[in-house]
Amino acid sequence: MSESAVEHVTAPAHHAAAESHHPTAVQYLVVAGILTVLTVCEIGVYYIPALQSVLVPLLLILSAGKFYLVAAYYMHLHFDSRIFSGLFFFPLTLAALILISLTLLLGFLAHHPGP
Amino acid sequence: MAAQPRPIHAEQTSYLEGGGIYGWLTTIDHKRIAVLYGVTAVFFMALGGFEAMAVRTQLMYPNNHFLSAQTYNQFFTTHGLTMIFLVIMPLETGFFGNFLIPLQIGARDVAFPRLNALSYWIFLFGAITLNLGWLYGGLPNGGWFGYANLTERYYSPGPNIDFFDLGLLVLGVSSVMSALNFFVTIINMRAPGMTFFRMPLFIWSILVTVILILLAFPSLTVGLIFLFMDRYFDTHYYRVIAGATPILWQHLFWIFGHPEVYIMILPAFGLISEVIPVFSGKPLFGYPMMVYAIIAIAFLSYGVWGHHMFATGMGPVADMTFSVTSLLIAIPTGIKIFNWLFTVWGGRLRFTTAYLFALAFVIQFTIGGLSGMMHASPPIDLEQTDSYIIVAHFHYVLGLGALFAILAGFYFYWPKVTGRMLSETLGKWHFWLAVWSFNATFFPMHFLGELGMPRRIYTYAPHMGWDFWNKWETWNAYIIALSFIPLLLNIYWSLTNGERATEDPWDARTLEWSVPTPPPIYNFAEVPTVTARDAFWVAKYGSVEASGLTQSAPAIAPALVDVSKIHIPAPSLYPLLMGLGIFGMALGMLIGWYRVIFTAMALLVFSAIAMAFEYPNWGEENPHAVAESFLGLDSRKVGMWSFIGSETVFFACLISTYMVYKSRSLGVYDAGILNIPLTSFSTFVLLTSSLLMVLALAAFQRDDHKWGTIWLIGTALFGCIFLGGQVYEFGDFWLEHGMVFNANLFSQCFYTLVGFHGFHVFIGVVWLLVMAFAGIFGKLNAKRSLAVEICGLYWHFVDIVWVVIFVLVYLMRTVKGA
Repeated sequence: MSESAVEHVTAPAHHAAAESHHPTAVQYLVVAGILTVLTVCEIGVYYIPALQSVLVPLLLILSAGKFYLVAAYYMHLHFDSRIFSGLFFFPLTLAALILISLTLLLGFLAHHPGP
Repeated sequence: MAAQPRPIHAEQTSYLEGGGIYGWLTTIDHKRIAVLYGVTAVFFMALGGFEAMAVRTQLMYPNNHFLSAQTYNQFFTTHGLTMIFLVIMPLETGFFGNFLIPLQIGARDVAFPRLNALSYWIFLFGAITLNLGWLYGGLPNGGWFGYANLTERYYSPGPNIDFFDLGLLVLGVSSVMSALNFFVTIINMRAPGMTFFRMPLFIWSILVTVILILLAFPSLTVGLIFLFMDRYFDTHYYRVIAGATPILWQHLFWIFGHPEVYIMILPAFGLISEVIPVFSGKPLFGYPMMVYAIIAIAFLSYGVWGHHMFATGMGPVADMTFSVTSLLIAIPTGIKIFNWLFTVWGGRLRFTTAYLFALAFVIQFTIGGLSGMMHASPPIDLEQTDSYIIVAHFHYVLGLGALFAILAGFYFYWPKVTGRMLSETLGKWHFWLAVWSFNATFFPMHFLGELGMPRRIYTYAPHMGWDFWNKWETWNAYIIALSFIPLLLNIYWSLTNGERATEDPWDARTLEWSVPTPPPIYNFAEVPTVTARDAFWVAKYGSVEASGLTQSAPAIAPALVDVSKIHIPAPSLYPLLMGLGIFGMALGMLIGWYRVIFTAMALLVFSAIAMAFEYPNWGEENPHAVAESFLGLDSRKVGMWSFIGSETVFFACLISTYMVYKSRSLGVYDAGILNIPLTSFSTFVLLTSSLLMVLALAAFQRDDHKWGTIWLIGTALFGCIFLGGQVYEFGDFWLEHGMVFNANLFSQCFYTLVGFHGFHVFIGVVWLLVMAFAGIFGKLNAKRSLAVEICGLYWHFVDIVWVVIFVLVYLMRTVKGA
């Protein structure tokens, strides 16, 4: 990263402007509608016997969609400075890795230690 | 209650002047808080040193009974805890971090000065909690790592482990608060032109360290909460008999514990990187690579915790993974060592005491690092683990490493902190005595380890081949204690007769040396504009590469500004009162006196609310946070996102435990009990509350105060409905089905995870109601809508945590756990 490359970032107006473009009330209502539909789908998937074999991937995809919508629109990550996205998604990635590691180490690998 | 900015008197030139004892108790100035941290840490260093001397005396002879076995366990445990949490961390981040961050980045204070004071008071009371055993019941006695299940009430019935548990919980709160504050300060409050790659390396090291603290401490917090529940509510998080595994504690502890090693060593790297260039007469060699190396070390540090656990039998896949990641850390660490050497190479060296300590650090840390490499190899580690080689290794890294760096920083920055010079003669006496005694004490521990002496051993039989080296080490440990006498004499001499220091006594390179010595309360009369790395050096000599010509006065002319116009936040007593409240709660928990707990809680809540409304223009408070923001972002918003990041790891640890223990649970209760229709309804309620929250924000942003307030009340109401559903669900499980909190692993994990989420919702509802009242009284408008937005961020975070819990806990209830 060259020093000159980051010079322009010092202008406060740059980010202040980015923060001002929050969604309108109508957009919020649209997002709420989609969240409702996704939640209904989640509950539907849970109750439909034919989908039990793909329950886990379907639920993970649907909940990831809800997660993204709340973070991007209600928490404004889609509109705000990218710094905020970094402040959220870096710890989120680490949290996911911890979750996967612990379930593997104390679950699968504890029972299947390998050769 | 409302406090006005403090007037600055023209004659008040130093931050040390004025205020008396009350001024120190209510201070929110980062430099005074640094001094408070420093003095407290030095006190605990003496205490920890005393414990170490007692431990070494016990080991001086075979079959010695200088200490009882119980006292020995308490002393070696508390020595470790003290040196880590009450000496090295507070000296590096609390003292040096507080003092230097604003001065090095060209700011007038940290982003949240009152939070900074609160961090200190919580640290002090956490330290007292950890040491309450001196007065009652005995000190912590389970090792600094407090391995389960020795820490369970059955094996440790006394209060020793309670002091450990609650003390570390309180200290963790302080550390996270400080980390959040420093993170926001460095990200957002740099002087104009202070780009990331113009920041001094100490600032880089602190920036990375505080990220480690924010993301590593939640894991320890979760582990300590589980321990607390096992001991106070008879749960079974670490009890094999209930299907649990004590190894869970080791994972949670070391996910924190290995980054903790870097939390202690990275600031040491930063201090050394300030001292070596100044006394080598050269800029730091390979600055960008030094930065990348710090980042790489921090990143890798999250993936190496398993090397502390090779002996637990994790299996070849896990062993290999952790071995590779641990070995990889040697690469960025090696880069740093070579870059320090290349900085020295060809320089015009000035062998001051600070420089000598810095050079000794490089050599000694390398020795400690090399022995660390051995432990990255599982077969070698299996032979060496729990032997004295490990004691030698971590004392070389932290004692002869971090402590020597702290001493280098101490000799370097003492003139700036106090305005007085130290005696170089006494300093060199201190240095040579320290180098000899530390090495003579800790290097032979490698031999003892190879001879088979285990660590944490109370005493030993004669003729094991350990007698000589133990005696040798103990005598040299006494010399370590004596080596501090020249330092104490030096401090006394400096404060009473020391030469007055100029602004720039070392011909240094960075901004802190451009301000008067000691610095004024406002730091910079005029916020500097930075045009290059080593900004002060460039201002003096024209370019980073220029050789220093003289030790003349700084070339930067003093700014002709009216310092009385500078905004200085008023002192506040509330941080101290809040700290007392937290201490009272911990104390009440320890003695089981609920009146103390509730009184302390009331004090805490009162102080928090009083502090929130302390300044007349609340919501617009902290003007320098916005006006001087480097990125144009509000510091409060950056702070909230940082907090959310830390909370994410906290919930990940809770959810992981639920996933693992779900399938291990014994007894009749399992996820089949969960009420999907009720929870689906609650989920809709919480999602709708999030909609109302954003509608409230949109209303305030367009200055529609009436509808903004209505939506806020609606959000709080929906939050209450969600909580009501949770209370009904818990009551149904508990009263109708008999699934009490500690019925089995499933019940305790479920109640803990969902209960902690509910607690977050409760806090959010209280916050929303406070905001709603502010709306009703006309305190909220478009200008102050950011206060609503920050509250909303928290509320939405609680919402997305529920999105995850709803799926993983409820809808996947029939899926077998890990």
